[in-house]
Amino acid sequence: MKQRAAGKANKAAMQPAPEQGFDEQTYLRLNPDVLMAVAEGKFQSGREHYEHYGRAEGRLATTPGGLPRDRIIITARPGQTQEVPRAPHAAVDYVYLSSAGGLYVSGWVDDSLDRLETVELYVAGWSVAFSAAGLVRVMRPDADEVAKLRGTHATGFWGFIYAAQRLPLGKCNAVLRLKSGVELAFIATIAPMDDMALRDLMLKGITTAPYLGPRYFAASAALGEMIGEQLADFNRMLTRRAVSAPYVERFHQPGRTPKASIIVCLYGKPDYLPLQIALFARQAGMEAYEFIYVSNSPEMAEAMQRCARIAHLTYGLDITLILLSTNAGFAAANNLAATHARTGRLLFVNPDVFPKEEEFARRHLALLQDWPTVRTDLFGAALYYDDGTLMHGGMYLEADTLPGFALGRKQDSTILRVEHYGKGAPGEEPDLLRCRPVPAVTGAFISTERGWFETLDGFSEDYIFGHYEDADLCLRALEAGRPAWMTDLRLYHLEGKGGVHLALHEGAATVNRVLFTNSWLELAEGGLLGVAPEHPALRETAS
Amino acid sequence: MKVLIVTMYHPELVRGGSQQVAYELFQGLKQAPGVEPVLLCSTDLNSPAMFKSGARITGFDQRENEFLFLSHDYDHVWQRLPWPRQAEAFAGFLRRIRPDVVHFNHFMTIGIDYLTLTRRVLPDARIVFTAHEFLTICAAEGHMLRRTDNSLCEKASQVRCHQCLPQRPPEEMFLREQWMRTHLAVVDYFTVPSRFMIDVFARWGLDTARFRHVPNGQDMLPRVPEAVPARRNRFGFFGQLVDVKGVSVLLEAVQILRAAESPPFVVEINGENIHFASPEKRKEIESFLEEEARRPVLEQRVRFNGGYHHDQLATRMARVDWVVVPSIWWEIYGLVMSEAWHFGRPVIASNKGGMAERVRDGVDGLLFEIGDAHALAATMHRAMTEEKLWETLEAGITPPPSRADMVQGYLAAYDAALMVQA
Repeated sequence: MKQRAAGKANKAAMQPAPEQGFDEQTYLRLNPDVLMAVAEGKFQSGREHYEHYGRAEGRLATTPGGLPRDRIIITARPGQTQEVPRAPHAAVDYVYLSSAGGLYVSGWVDDSLDRLETVELYVAGWSVAFSAAGLVRVMRPDADEVAKLRGTHATGFWGFIYAAQRLPLGKCNAVLRLKSGVELAFIATIAPMDDMALRDLMLKGITTAPYLGPRYFAASAALGEMIGEQLADFNRMLTRRAVSAPYVERFHQPGRTPKASIIVCLYGKPDYLPLQIALFARQAGMEAYEFIYVSNSPEMAEAMQRCARIAHLTYGLDITLILLSTNAGFAAANNLAATHARTGRLLFVNPDVFPKEEEFARRHLALLQDWPTVRTDLFGAALYYDDGTLMHGGMYLEADTLPGFALGRKQDSTILRVEHYGKGAPGEEPDLLRCRPVPAVTGAFISTERGWFETLDGFSEDYIFGHYEDADLCLRALEAGRPAWMTDLRLYHLEGKGGVHLALHEGAATVNRVLFTNSWLELAEGGLLGVAPEHPALRETAS
Repeated sequence: MKVLIVTMYHPELVRGGSQQVAYELFQGLKQAPGVEPVLLCSTDLNSPAMFKSGARITGFDQRENEFLFLSHDYDHVWQRLPWPRQAEAFAGFLRRIRPDVVHFNHFMTIGIDYLTLTRRVLPDARIVFTAHEFLTICAAEGHMLRRTDNSLCEKASQVRCHQCLPQRPPEEMFLREQWMRTHLAVVDYFTVPSRFMIDVFARWGLDTARFRHVPNGQDMLPRVPEAVPARRNRFGFFGQLVDVKGVSVLLEAVQILRAAESPPFVVEINGENIHFASPEKRKEIESFLEEEARRPVLEQRVRFNGGYHHDQLATRMARVDWVVVPSIWWEIYGLVMSEAWHFGRPVIASNKGGMAERVRDGVDGLLFEIGDAHALAATMHRAMTEEKLWETLEAGITPPPSRADMVQGYLAAYDAALMVQA
């Protein structure tokens, strides 16, 4: 990496016009450091230095009338008099283009003094300019070492834009344009990359790259400018593609008419299908439910089929299996599964969730009968850790703000955070188990009336993989005047154990948090923040 | 009454205590009036020749009512089989046999979820479950032996189990417990070969009213004529050469006795399956035996006789005075102790679990501190030097449970299970 970074550096070229009336001897006399540099062969002439750097540095080139007497004449910027002039170090490392038109560029530039303004790519037939404000800036210790920098500036950058069309590959001229007007030009090869691989590369990069400043804020701030939306668009395309041709297999008992559909999105761990069904199946009244398992892991398709077949044989419950060709994410997979439900009641349940109480199955259905519909349109449940403490008693919103100076930006940065009521609390806290409207409930368990879910357009597929789409759904319900309710139904949730968690998922969560903040900060600041929000929709009398 | 015995392995394909018990029971039930037993033993790729293309259940060696369940790719983490065709074949087998009682003598290589499958396929049949160890409670091979320090485990919990198997998080251990309980919930009646096991399962939350203590019994060949030796200084180990059987404790005791320049003695190791031992223990045992073989014959203290068939037991027993059972786990029953007593050999055993429950210290055997090679060495020294000790203990031996005793025990358990139905 260092070799490559070094090899691509110092290839800058620039084209300002020559200064009128430039005098070589005068310039060298006024700028002895340049004289030395020319003597050492670093520049062919003082003019070359002036055209490349001297003008931008404000160096004197002429002395009409000779030097004034008894005065100090500044001939270079303070701090630069001891430096041998040199070109800003920079490199364009990678330009990737995916088949669907996702364009990614990365590189680095020492722009601590002369700020990067745009990264421009010129290709036969198309061109693009990335605004520097929309780039993610990251630390590049390898580049800092090459350029002998102190590592106090985020020299690395990457940018992404989704063209939504197939673009030709080839060589491109990559130009880094600095604020001074200097252009650093490179020849780069645009390499093809698979759409999903490109998405995953970026998501992984978001969470693993070293940032200057607090990681989460730095990443969020950078994503908020442009890349977050671009990534969401790109991911939406991938999601549509993923759910366009599902494989569906039904393991049903003839003549059975279930009353509720348990929808479970599986990722990476097929074992959780038989484990979860076994633990639900011991409940009295489970024959009133059907299971719909949707798999975001194509590599476990065959294992899923086997698990479903054995589970149907062993427990006799109806199972619909939906296999996707790739990871469509939580929202799209669940939305698709909902369209295959045979009932008007949808329960979205994580694979590591199962009943804690013996009467869950019956009590859940009884709630639908006994409660007013405004409470049962969308509700959650008390979820417990394996150790018996509460894991979830509803969700509320908090906002985190970082002063702008900490990020080297003009504006303070605020991002929303979703918290669980009662996380880790003793299992029998009456306040936490009280049935009440809440800002949101976790997607680990949501029971919703199908028509209401469809009216809300289901889970938002803007969110990548998972995280925040549950709160988003609940806030849309709240905005429509029917907030989510908490019930005292009790289930276990072995949080995070039912699927595989990779670095790229962490990156997706970062993007999602930015998207969630963009969507809901205004509403949240209007009475929805904190553990006791005063938003009128949450008044129990309102329901 | 038709009884289907389901068990891990056919004892003639893979030796082991639980399958031996199952086979003894099967043979015994044939003699019981009004009982029609059927035996379904698993086999796996340890016996590849038993596998017939496309078959999941086959007969066995032209034996009436003996069947093989062809198991492969068994998931030891969740104790389940991943193949639907095998579950379907098992369900079809149940429908064809239509037993009144399905007795799961051992579920491993078949699957704990086959209990629930059995209940679903035959809702009117009674399910009897025998625990030969604590596999339903303990993920560490059911030994309840803490891998952190080799201490005996008194209580399973998700954190303690995670400490034994750090690659599995506590939540997964909790899930395992729920998974096991779910399937055990369909069991009508439990049997265990040792009483102390009932306490362990009670601590785990099962209802002791549904438990019955049925000691393992077997019919054995008569003793062979033997000369009275001049000294009672011959010790025998009989069993599988796996870690928990404690062979290495016995070998260490030999080293201690040798270093203490004890009177002459000999230890005969009878057993096999060292390939199931941990690599470290296997190396330790094999290195010891190789070193022993290099010694001059008169200095050799340990002889390795290898595995043995049931028919050879009488002659192997005739070569020793004492049977040592140095197990470092609970040793649920210790069939070898029954064999020792049948052949009139007092037992020297670890002082925990089934060994402590069965050996009457100073009456029909001697107990030593579990896992303590020095204590074993001292006990062996006492055994070979104390005047008339052997004769006293030999006289204290009472006959171990026979096959008929065991059959009566299981018939009572089946009746109890059928009463659950009523």
